[in-house]
Amino acid sequence: MSRDVSLDRVTMRFASYVAVNNVSLDIKAGEFFSFLGPSGCGKTTILRMISGFMNPTEGRILIGGEDMKGNGPNKRPTALIFQNLALFPMMSVADNIAFGLEMRGVDKSVRRRRAEELLELVALPDAADKRIDELSGGMKQRVAIARALAVEPQVMLLDEPLSALDLKLRQHMRAELRAIQRRTGLTFIYITHDQGEALTMSDRVGVMSRGQLEQVGPPSEIYNEPATAFVAGFVGENNVFTGRITEVAGGQAVVETGDGRLIGRNPRGIRVGTQVVMLVRPERLKPLAVAGPTPENPNVLSRSVDHVDFEGAFANVHLKQPDGAKPLSMHISNDGSLTDLVGDRVFTVGFAPQDALVLAANGA
Amino acid sequence: MRKLTGSDILIRAYLVLFFFFLLAPLGVMVIATFNSSRFPTVTPWLGTTTKWFDALFNDPQMWEGLVNSLIVGVAVVLVSVPLGTAAAMVLDNLHRQARTFVYAVMVSPLLTPGVIIGISTLVFWDRLGVKGGLHLAVIGQSSFITAYIMLMVLARLQRLDRSQEEAALDLGASHPQVFRKILLPYLRSSLVAGGVLAFFQSFENYNTTLFTRGTDITLTIYIASKVRTGLTPAVNALGVILIALTIVGAVGYEIMRRREVARAAAARRQAELEEIPANALVIADAH
Repeated sequence: MSRDVSLDRVTMRFASYVAVNNVSLDIKAGEFFSFLGPSGCGKTTILRMISGFMNPTEGRILIGGEDMKGNGPNKRPTALIFQNLALFPMMSVADNIAFGLEMRGVDKSVRRRRAEELLELVALPDAADKRIDELSGGMKQRVAIARALAVEPQVMLLDEPLSALDLKLRQHMRAELRAIQRRTGLTFIYITHDQGEALTMSDRVGVMSRGQLEQVGPPSEIYNEPATAFVAGFVGENNVFTGRITEVAGGQAVVETGDGRLIGRNPRGIRVGTQVVMLVRPERLKPLAVAGPTPENPNVLSRSVDHVDFEGAFANVHLKQPDGAKPLSMHISNDGSLTDLVGDRVFTVGFAPQDALVLAANGA
Repeated sequence: MRKLTGSDILIRAYLVLFFFFLLAPLGVMVIATFNSSRFPTVTPWLGTTTKWFDALFNDPQMWEGLVNSLIVGVAVVLVSVPLGTAAAMVLDNLHRQARTFVYAVMVSPLLTPGVIIGISTLVFWDRLGVKGGLHLAVIGQSSFITAYIMLMVLARLQRLDRSQEEAALDLGASHPQVFRKILLPYLRSSLVAGGVLAFFQSFENYNTTLFTRGTDITLTIYIASKVRTGLTPAVNALGVILIALTIVGAVGYEIMRRREVARAAAARRQAELEEIPANALVIADAH
């Protein structure tokens, strides 16, 4: 059985430092929810408060509607998978997995059977009698998951458990974690600074910065409709044009930038005269056949190639900006049209107004 | 082979001298045991004998001292290991200022001469009406041996990955269960090493024991009294037995340790090999 988790105006202070600032959030039962943010944003503090290792200075944490105040970590229906896994090196794999059951006074034979079932679930059927130091990184990961599942938690908490694995294994474990979550139907709360992990695994993502939730939504919404410049900058790459709005009409804004007059979407209805950033994803910047702006193609730039990073599936073309500013980045799909990208060639590139997002400049 | 430089030669000469000074007296002592001379000496050699072992085994005072030393040693282990462990755990959880103070208090007996510990233990307990004896020797010795245990346990505690304790709590363990199932097994090697150290510290102690023993004798006291009243090679025979036991213990421990290291390394290699199919699976999935 899985439970929902609610944070009700939760604040955590350490002396004068506010680690988590007035966060309210409802995580549904059976949901895969990720907290995404840079280190120090407060995501680990939230996880430790949900698991009971810390108590919020203000606000309440509810699991299944029940206030968890005063319940220590050993009295909560949560299981935490630690960043370093924290397996017990002096116990066998089976004893690690059965540890929670042993603490609950479950019979030895029942514990053993349950450990073997769980090893089956995490695809490690013959590992029961191995010692922890005999396992590879991926195997340890699976044992940690099995150990947490053994206590039949209603909420699983995961603190960047994949960060120690190599790339291939990490991608594999993403799929596997997601599959385990679907199979068990448990609420998963996942902490990560890796946007790829958050976007591929989660039903919803909460992006955090400096103790506050910047945006909560499904992965596609976080990527396509970032609510703040921070979210846009933290999730995915962007080309950033800074400037001032000179005109607003029909959900669009005209921004006077160092690169000229550019038009983009203005979903937040920002007013004329405001300092803003215009954000364009590299995959939305495209080479154009035309030479100058037209009513259909209002955003046109001529830039020479700085260098090209060939990534396999696509090429990342870096275009020189005037005054030595950060080069623009343009992703060109490797669909057979990719030729002739090297050298001092000048590209005419552009983007449609609906592919450019206008947001208030950071801190404004 | 490359040419030896001046500093190589110096280092080698130093090592040779170092081990000579360390081991030569033991060698002389061992050899003297088998000399039938009445005095423990190598020259003149008056004939090879094992009679001093017989003399040793037939000396009731020696046996009494040995038994008392064993009793005191075991008692010191039983007192100082739990106390030292508790002190280390307290110290590990204290904040900086309190920590510095408690640390200084705990370690100060190590810096105090054993004679002073012996005298002050005697004076203190005498006022409370407790007379000298083996029990007081245990208390006196424990007051500084506990500090050794504390230092050893503390060193290991500070390397403990706290998430181990947190993981156990998270899985539903109570605090006593965390102590028994996580902390104790983790500290086991330090506790065993500390226990052995405590035993030998006690066994060889003379200064503190001299003042606190009352009328009881321990092995060191017995040997010292022999030095005054006429040393015979029987004491050397005792030394030979103790050296032999030490060597057997050390070699046995080392053999066990090497086997364990080799076994763990082999198992880990095996696990890395088994990981490859899992990786291959990922690659197959990608297509």
